[in-house]
Amino acid sequence: MKTETAPEASAAPPAAEPRPPTRALPVWANPRLGLLIVIAVLVALFSSLTPAFLDPRLTLAPLQADISVYAVVGLAQLAVLSLGHMNMAVGRMAALSTFAMGLAYDRLGVPLLVGLLVGLAVGAGIGALAGLLIAKTGVNSFVVTLALDFGLLGLVTILYTWATGGVSFAVQPSGLSALRFDTFADYCMGEVCGPRIPLVVPIAVAAALGVGLLFRRARLGREILMTGSNPVAAELSGIPTHRRVVAAHALSGLLAALAGFLLAANNGAFSATIGESFLLPSFLAPVLGGTLLAGGAVSVLGTALGATLTQVIYKGLNLLQFSLEELKLYIGLVLLAALSLDRLRAVLAERRAVSPS
Amino acid sequence: MRSLIRTNEFTLAVIAALGFAALAVATDFNLLTAGTLDAFLRFLALPIVIGLAQMVVLAVGQMNLSVGVLTGFCAMASGWLMIDAGLPAPVAVLAALALGAVVGLVNGLLVIFTRINGFIVTLATMTILEGLRYGVNGTGTYQGYSPGLREFGQASLAGVPVVFLLAVASAVAVALFFRRTVPGRHLLASGGNPFAARLSGISNDRALVLAHTLSGLLAGFAAVIVVAAFGSVNASIGDDLLLPSFAAPIIGGVALAGGMISVTGTVLAAFLVRLVDVSQSQFDINRRWVDLIIGAVVLGAVLLGQFRDKLSGGTR
Repeated sequence: MKTETAPEASAAPPAAEPRPPTRALPVWANPRLGLLIVIAVLVALFSSLTPAFLDPRLTLAPLQADISVYAVVGLAQLAVLSLGHMNMAVGRMAALSTFAMGLAYDRLGVPLLVGLLVGLAVGAGIGALAGLLIAKTGVNSFVVTLALDFGLLGLVTILYTWATGGVSFAVQPSGLSALRFDTFADYCMGEVCGPRIPLVVPIAVAAALGVGLLFRRARLGREILMTGSNPVAAELSGIPTHRRVVAAHALSGLLAALAGFLLAANNGAFSATIGESFLLPSFLAPVLGGTLLAGGAVSVLGTALGATLTQVIYKGLNLLQFSLEELKLYIGLVLLAALSLDRLRAVLAERRAVSPS
Repeated sequence: MRSLIRTNEFTLAVIAALGFAALAVATDFNLLTAGTLDAFLRFLALPIVIGLAQMVVLAVGQMNLSVGVLTGFCAMASGWLMIDAGLPAPVAVLAALALGAVVGLVNGLLVIFTRINGFIVTLATMTILEGLRYGVNGTGTYQGYSPGLREFGQASLAGVPVVFLLAVASAVAVALFFRRTVPGRHLLASGGNPFAARLSGISNDRALVLAHTLSGLLAGFAAVIVVAAFGSVNASIGDDLLLPSFAAPIIGGVALAGGMISVTGTVLAAFLVRLVDVSQSQFDINRRWVDLIIGAVVLGAVLLGQFRDKLSGGTR
């Protein structure tokens, strides 16, 4: 059962502790550990209820592909949560970027990688635009990205109608179906075949690693976190806070574009509906993983685990023949329960620690 | 007089009047015929109330993401009460209002007891309510309920739809609440500066709970309008209300940080959005252009407000 959690779990280090450990907090106060236990319990529960949950080809491989998409979606939100900002347009940024990818494949016939780069550039560009508007005007990020979401919602549909006459591109760039259907088990060197992990998983792991390293080791990432934690102090320490805001939003757009690409690969089509389901999961994953909305602290590993938890619940309940709407009920309840427990744990931990921050 | 002209509300009122006049001329005064005007105002009721529902939580610096879905849930619940439980319409109406208020109360209590950001709490309750809303009747539609209620939804008083008058009445009530009553002033004080409010003996927790309850109540009221005016309800009601609920107060000049509201601005902004909507149907424009335009208007309004604040040197 380690298959779908292991890649992310081993790959991405937690980028920053939610609060500085004054005197080493007890182990149970680590939200990531709690998530891991909940995931393990749910997986055990689902597999005992329906053996189909452990089917490697029909369940586990698609599950890993889904987790990859939503972990990257979560990272896209995390990139701006680090500032204490929000990106309400995360889904529509993905939609616009995948439109650019589809257009490049369709009209220019570019190879898979080039189209991806075009999409990522568009995503980063639109993200940077949002960041620029926020930094220059000082308007709340929620309002700016909400307005942007409205605008892009219209724009994307208009663009698709203009370019395709419908809602999706018919083009299938070579290599897309491999990303969609193949797992490493299809590639053998002699007798030795890879594990049954879809090809999209390493892309998500690489993204998580990159974001984790950025926020933990890179100067840019640390400066973004400091800007999020205390903009005035950051400004006074000589950090160009405006540029850091733009950078964080550009990163968010870039990751949204990547998530859009992964979803397009999973669905096998570049269509206007990509990104419609991104908004809620984009907050679920980082928040479940212990990232605060206040900014200044992020947890990349937590985000990956949060995405895993939500997708395990979706998949499990789906196999148990729950309808999509019923799923939402339980996801919401799990979110509330997880957050309340987290709060309780934090309170208890603070009581134990000598000087809580 | 000058101070009046420089207010956000005045700008909005001028834009609304100009827009309305322009649209009337462009449609060869079709807009002013009884039928069209009636429909214009009838479907203006919902955006006004939903905008107010969001505004009351913005007043304390909170957000309520569940407002649209809650409207849908209350509408479905009252449909269930009338059709499946066979209760009379007044009971169903009161139940919708009570249900909205109770869900709002739960939102508020969750916010103060868990100390989790209201955005996240209502995100979670929104998800839960989406499931519940669907659970009432699946994908089925409730229609053919109480003829009296539907007639009420179509009724007009001196040429003005009753539901629109009700929406305006609720706006007046909300305005009076914030302007004249002690709890209303407490809400604004708490939203403006929680620390100062606490030192003056105001309970911030109580303000949060009250704001969320009021927001839920208004969402319940919006559900009553939907049930009465639309004539049928299904589980998709409320899906397209979340963004307009923010658009109206934000265009209307309500600060997200809390402590400042504008009922007139919110109502005028709802009017403007409705104006864009009607132009779309009158001229057969692609529905998507409307979203694009509203997005641009929201952003423009915010930038304009920022610009004006800078001009007046922040002496607000």
